[in-house]
Amino acid sequence: MKLALAVILPLLASLVNLNSPGNYVNIGVISISVANLVVIILMVLVFVLAVMLPFPHKKEHGA
Amino acid sequence: MTTMQDRDREAIVAGLPEDRDMWTNKLRRKFYGKLPPEKLLPDRQPAYVSSWIYVFGVLTLAALAVVLLSGAILALKGPDWWHNSPEGHFVNSTHLWSVELFFFFMVIHLWGKFFMAAWRGKRTWTWITGMVAFLASIGTAFTGYVSQQNFDSQWISTQGKDGLNASGVGALFNVLNFGQMLMWHILLLPLIVGVIIVVHVLMVRLRGVVHPFPPKGAKTHPANDAPWTGRYRRYDILKEGTTALVVVFVLTLLFSIVFSSPDDKQVTLQQWAQNDPVDFVTTATGELSGSTISASYGYPYNNVPGSGQKLGPISLPSIFGVTIPVNPAKDFVLHPLATIAFNPSLGSALSTYNGASSTQQGKWLDNYTKALNKAQAVNGAVMVAPGNYGPLPVMMSALLKMADNGGLEAALVANHGFYGTDYTKPLLFLADGSYLGNIAQKDHLLGTQWGMMNETGNFPGQAWLWLYTFWYQVQPFASSGNADVLVWSIMILLSVIMILVPVIPGLRAIPEKVKVYRFIWKDYYHEEEKAKT
Repeated sequence: MKLALAVILPLLASLVNLNSPGNYVNIGVISISVANLVVIILMVLVFVLAVMLPFPHKKEHGA
Repeated sequence: MTTMQDRDREAIVAGLPEDRDMWTNKLRRKFYGKLPPEKLLPDRQPAYVSSWIYVFGVLTLAALAVVLLSGAILALKGPDWWHNSPEGHFVNSTHLWSVELFFFFMVIHLWGKFFMAAWRGKRTWTWITGMVAFLASIGTAFTGYVSQQNFDSQWISTQGKDGLNASGVGALFNVLNFGQMLMWHILLLPLIVGVIIVVHVLMVRLRGVVHPFPPKGAKTHPANDAPWTGRYRRYDILKEGTTALVVVFVLTLLFSIVFSSPDDKQVTLQQWAQNDPVDFVTTATGELSGSTISASYGYPYNNVPGSGQKLGPISLPSIFGVTIPVNPAKDFVLHPLATIAFNPSLGSALSTYNGASSTQQGKWLDNYTKALNKAQAVNGAVMVAPGNYGPLPVMMSALLKMADNGGLEAALVANHGFYGTDYTKPLLFLADGSYLGNIAQKDHLLGTQWGMMNETGNFPGQAWLWLYTFWYQVQPFASSGNADVLVWSIMILLSVIMILVPVIPGLRAIPEKVKVYRFIWKDYYHEEEKAKT
C-alpha cells in the first residue's frame, strides 16, 4: 500500500507541473504571476456568475 | 418543592421560580431567548434568499473544515513528514489548496455581503466579526507560509520581518523563529479565528439574513431590524452544509492530485559556502565591520543610533527596545570560530584579532573588504591579492570551512543547547548576503517584483496581499527609507475602515447607489413588480 502510494501520488501530482519557472504579466508598475491572475479573474467571474445566474426555486410558504 | 416533571420545553428552560437568581439559570434563559433551536438550526428562510451568492458563506466554512482536517493530519505526523514522504506531501497539498479555496470563497462572500449592505438592521457586529475573521485568517495563512521549512518560508520570513519590526510588532512576533511561528499557526491563531467565526455565525443566526432594499414605490416593507413578513421557503441548513463540504473536499482532492504543491528545498549555509564562497566571506567580513543589514539594523536586534524606520517623529520599534539580541560580529563569526578546536593557527588568529585595537581591526577589515571585490573562488577557497589583512584570511578560511562542513548551521541554531527551533541568526546571516536574494530574484520573489504575493514556480501565492504589495511599487513608498512602517500604517488604516464600513457615512451608502443588489434579489423585485401590476 505504502509502495503504491509512493508511486501513484507523485505520478498523479505531475499531471500538471506547476514547478516549472513562473510566468508573469507586466503592465506598468503591475507585475503579477499568471497563477495569481487566474485566481483573481476566476474570483471575479464566479462572483458575477453567482449574482447573475438564476437560482433554482423551491416550494415557498406564506409568512 | 416544585418538581421538573411534566413541564414543557419553555418551562424547563425558564427553570423553577426559586432558581431564577442562579447564574446558570439566567444564562440559559438569555441564550434560549436569543437563540432558540429554530434559529440555530432553521428549516425556513425568507423567500428572497434566492441567489447563488448566499452559498459562499457556507462554502467558506466548509473550506475551513478541510483546512483544519488537513492541518490536523499534518500535525499528527509532525513538521518533517510533508517534506520526506509522498503521502505527507500530498496532505500538504490538500492543506494548501483548501486554504486557497477558503480565501477564494471568503472574498466572494465578503463582496456579496458588501453589495447587500448586510450590516443593516443591527447587523453591524456581524459585518465586523466577518472582517476581523478575514484579517485574522490572513495572519494565520502568513504564519503557515513562514512555517513551511522550505526556501519559500526562508524568503518570506526574512522579507516579512521588516514590516513587522518597523511597526514594533516584531519585538513580540519573530517570524524568523520557526518554533514560535509554528505554535502561532497551529494553536493560537486557529483558536482566535475559530472563536471569531463561531461568534460571526451565531450573529448570523441571531439576526438572520439582511432584508432586501425596499422595492421602488413600496408602501409597506419590514424595517431592517424587524422580522420578515413576506414569504418563506424551505431551507435545510444541514443538507446545505454537507453538500458544501463534499464540494470543497472534492475540489481540494482534485487540485492536490492535479497540481500538487511547491516545496523548494531550503537554502543552507553549507550550500551558500559551497556555491558562492566569495559572497559568503564578503558577508562574514561585513558582519565584523558592521556594514551588513543585520549589523546596522537596530531594534529589535541591536541598539544602533539613528537606525530603524520612523512614522513621522515616532520610532515604534524603540518602544520595546532590544528584545531579540543579535550581535552579528560575535554571533555569526567570532563565537562560532571560538568553538573550533584543535586549530592552533585559528586560535592564534582569533587572539590577534581580539587583542587588536578597533582602529587596527578597521584597517584590516577595510583592506580585506576591498580585496574581496576582486576575489576568486579556487577549489572552494577564497583567494585575494596579497595585502595587509592581519588575521582575517585565516579566520574567514576557517569560517568558510566550518560552513562547508555544515557545522556553522548547528552553531547558529542550537547555541542554547541540544534542541533548537529558533532560526533568527542563520536567517539574518543568510539574508545579509546576495546568494539568497539572487535565488529569490529568479523566482520573482523580490519586493520590487511584487514578491510578497508570489509563490515559487507557477503556483498561486498569497493573492490576497495584492494591496499590501502594491504600495511598495509606487512613490513615495518605493524609494522611502520608512516604506515598511508607512505601508503598514496605511494597511492598518484601510483595515480599520473596512471593519467600520457600517458606521462610515458615504462608504456605507455605496451598495445602495451602485445597485448590484438588484441582481442579487432579482427574483424578489421581479415578483414584487409583478404583484403590483
